[in-house]
Amino acid sequence: MKKHFIPLLAAICVLTVVSSAFAHFMVLYTPEIALDEGRDLDVRVLFSHPAEAGHMMDMGGVQEFYVVKQRGDATAKKVDLKKYLKEITWSNPHASAPAFSALIPKKEIRSMGDYVFVMKPGYYFEKEEDLYMQQITKLILNVGGIPGNWADPVGLPCEIVPLIKPYGMWVGNVFKAQVLSDGKPVAGAEVEVEYMSHMPNLNTNSMPAKSSVEYPHDAFVTQTIFSDVNGYITFGVPKAGWWGFAALGVGPEKEYKGKELGQDAVIWVKAEDMK
Amino acid sequence: MKKMMIVLTLAAMVAFAGQAFAHSPLMSCFDNGDGTITCEGGFSDGSSASGVKMHIQDGEGTSILETKMNEDSECSFAKPASAYVVIFDSGEGHTVELNGADIVE
Repeated sequence: MKKHFIPLLAAICVLTVVSSAFAHFMVLYTPEIALDEGRDLDVRVLFSHPAEAGHMMDMGGVQEFYVVKQRGDATAKKVDLKKYLKEITWSNPHASAPAFSALIPKKEIRSMGDYVFVMKPGYYFEKEEDLYMQQITKLILNVGGIPGNWADPVGLPCEIVPLIKPYGMWVGNVFKAQVLSDGKPVAGAEVEVEYMSHMPNLNTNSMPAKSSVEYPHDAFVTQTIFSDVNGYITFGVPKAGWWGFAALGVGPEKEYKGKELGQDAVIWVKAEDMK
Repeated sequence: MKKMMIVLTLAAMVAFAGQAFAHSPLMSCFDNGDGTITCEGGFSDGSSASGVKMHIQDGEGTSILETKMNEDSECSFAKPASAYVVIFDSGEGHTVELNGADIVE
């Protein structure tokens, strides 16, 4: 018994250490972000480790959920979407947690143009590190091909502002963006990058156990890049699908309930294969 | 023959120059459900469609209404009683045509 127990204990320790190395990611998801015309939009909000369909976390509710839409150079309009949120349970193979769904009706997504969705969750307490986390998340969608405000800062406490249309990327394109805190560029920001290798299933509100990627080493699960002296990040996109970027601890708020707070800026982008 | 070549070359240059600007015209229209139609226009480079001519024609191509996109690149009009077509006309090679039957709520 003892002989078997020690390797088991060692394995558990290793697993624990390895899993804590994976990144936390707020996921703001809808299957398509380059639409030909307006339609009802099925959205999910969850807090997980998307590269491995891993641990699920309670995001602490949603503080803000809205869209800033703009067609061409017309005035941008902000529309609150909180009323469409419904609490659900999101289940991954080995974990589940409270999450949200939203069916945003066509009347909100009717016009051509850009739609910059913003989701500001509550606070998540990370016991292992004794700190709070809050990931302010953006997702940018286009209807009909008329661009708008995709490259404009929303004015969030912290955000990642793309320099390439985030809904119009080919595989092999470089995702370039600027990390901002209180509107100012953040030099040397640590940015984690994850691929959505377990595609969310909106019917079952879950991620499947099977991964679309074989990771040769832990360093490939969550890649780490840094912003340059002017706050710019660059990342060559190697595979079609969803890529998440999280700039860690760049937000101006540093404390919550007497504990350290890490306020992160997250953006999700999607690349397509050239066929 | 030489003249012909020059004309063709010029024509090709003009055609390709147009492509280089990469601003295709775009329009979508909605039935507002209250007897009116709203059309929104623009270009793929985000530039304004304000002032672009709008032709609303009946099934035979006869003009029902001649109007323009307003400063927000929008245009609203009473829904024609029978078959109609909406044409967004920003110049030759830059038109978009929508059949009234495809314009829904």
